[in-house]
Amino acid sequence: MENNNIPVEETVTDEIDMNDPSLFEMAIADDSESEHITAPVYSYWGSVFRRFFSSKIAIAMMIVAATIILFAFIQPMFSNYSPMVAPNINNKSMHYIRPFKMAGYPFGTDDVGNSLFDALWAGTKNSLIIALVSTLICEVVGIIVGMFWGFSKKVDAVMIEVYNVLSNIPTTLIAMILVYTMGGGFAQLIFALCVTSWIGTAYFIRVQVMIIRDREYNLASQCLGTPTWKIIINNIFPYLISVIITSVSRDVPSFISYEVALSFMGVGISQEYASLGRMVQKYAAYMTTASYLFWIPVATSAVICVSLYIVGQVLADASDPRTHMV
Amino acid sequence: MANDKEVLLDVQDLEITFYNGKTPFRAVKGVNFQIYKGETFGLVGESGSGKTTIGRAIIRLNPNSNGQILYKGKRIDGKLTKSEKREVVRNIQMIFQDPAASLNERATIDYCVSEGLMNFHLYEDEADRQRKVDEALSSVGLLPEHKSRYPHEFSGGQRQRVGIARAMIMEPEFIIADEPISALDVSIRAQVLNLMNKFKEERGLTYLFIAHDLSVVRYFADRIGVIHNGEIVEIAPTEELFSYPLHPYTLSLLQAVPMPDPVIEKQKEVIVYSEEPRDPADGVPTLKEVRPGHFVFMTDNEMDGYQAKLAEMIKEAEKQ
Repeated sequence: MENNNIPVEETVTDEIDMNDPSLFEMAIADDSESEHITAPVYSYWGSVFRRFFSSKIAIAMMIVAATIILFAFIQPMFSNYSPMVAPNINNKSMHYIRPFKMAGYPFGTDDVGNSLFDALWAGTKNSLIIALVSTLICEVVGIIVGMFWGFSKKVDAVMIEVYNVLSNIPTTLIAMILVYTMGGGFAQLIFALCVTSWIGTAYFIRVQVMIIRDREYNLASQCLGTPTWKIIINNIFPYLISVIITSVSRDVPSFISYEVALSFMGVGISQEYASLGRMVQKYAAYMTTASYLFWIPVATSAVICVSLYIVGQVLADASDPRTHMV
Repeated sequence: MANDKEVLLDVQDLEITFYNGKTPFRAVKGVNFQIYKGETFGLVGESGSGKTTIGRAIIRLNPNSNGQILYKGKRIDGKLTKSEKREVVRNIQMIFQDPAASLNERATIDYCVSEGLMNFHLYEDEADRQRKVDEALSSVGLLPEHKSRYPHEFSGGQRQRVGIARAMIMEPEFIIADEPISALDVSIRAQVLNLMNKFKEERGLTYLFIAHDLSVVRYFADRIGVIHNGEIVEIAPTEELFSYPLHPYTLSLLQAVPMPDPVIEKQKEVIVYSEEPRDPADGVPTLKEVRPGHFVFMTDNEMDGYQAKLAEMIKEAEKQ
């Protein structure tokens, strides 16, 4: 076998004439080949969610927050709780029932025999509505004003003085006076919370706009004849998404705490509405005798604030495209 | 020699002042130059000399504090009507220095390239817009499939080509190229320059080429203006400027280019240019023509000295 192989190879090399041009063909170099991008198509929101859901603590906190929010909006529909109605007020045996002692009253009853469970969810619902609506108003007004504030030097000259005045008046003082004069309804409280807070958001947005306003790609857009409003929408706003989410994630918990603080001082929402702040204020007197009445609303407001804050912060990080590359 | 050509851009006594609080800073001090149709005018100077500022003033990004800018005989500085602004944008476009900074990172290439088209609605329907974008991309060697991509997915050279496509899709007559290759890798600089040359030949474009790299300007420009401290000190056709540099600043600028020969480089006597205070009695220096097409920034009584210097240089060149 081995002897056979050698002569065969020799004959092969003899037959091929390496100078024969018909054996070769021109290689075609295609420049466009090197232009292809092999990476999968990038999608901004796809990357945001991938990044967000890679954080276990964010998922856990989102489940906690979602559960509380859903419960707060669904449970009161069935309980129809109102602080002004107290059917068990004359039945002393129904007062101050401890948590988990009686079926139908998981968190026990309060000083007038109402279910704390029902009161808690009705209060959480109202507190959440106040916080969410206030955040929405503050962010919308703040973003719109902040965009023009950051973009125009003339607006800046006026607004910076307005900011100096408004931000130096204690917000609590303004809110207290407004609620005293206008009464403690929903709309009044939301107005009192928003009337000065929006300027903080606007100032925050103004600083961010100023940072990216003079970047070269905005000059390029100007050279292409893009009007300012289009530059704001297409060039500035997308860069602010993570900044805005950060701001929202700070605002919602702070408005919840604010409502609690105002109600605790007795200037929050009026008696006819349940709210976490009202409950904390009302039950603070029982801190030593029936401490569950005080601690359950306090713990609920703390859990909502912390979970929403963490979800917001992780989402803000995820929406920053610099985190998408790694 | 150039007088028979059509003047496309005429910059007259251009002065640009920036304010740091109340303190004024004159970045450009009474600059005069003309750019003829179809030529490439190089503007060379060190950092901070005001060359970018001039480019941005022409495209209306920086307001001028004095003087005027004429495009085809019409003023394009100061307050303009909407339709005049539109004309400026359509006819004059800019290529930026840093391709990473000059593209909107949150927009697709499709949006980046067609932004100008959409602003003036320069297309019939969506299909026409797509076709124009595809054409612009392939004219700079990119692929239509890149439209859905974001700028960060591209290399520096590709991004700069997107920047060129964005300018070219407007079908301008005049391009301001603000150091278009300074931020690019050396290996792809030639590619971008050749692309710009290709467009110049195909479309008869006129360029204002701003740079600090003399070898690039020598390769690319037909005429060169040397700018120092906000003043143009010398304007001449490229080869004339490199052969007979007259102004001392031009001389030191040319001399600063390192020679790839260690022996010559070591023996080189470095001329350091320092602006000597002028005697106010000599009058205000302006750009004066030493010989046709060759302007030097000087006062009246310096003319004889420069002319003698030029004659000597020519004599020496002929000897060799």
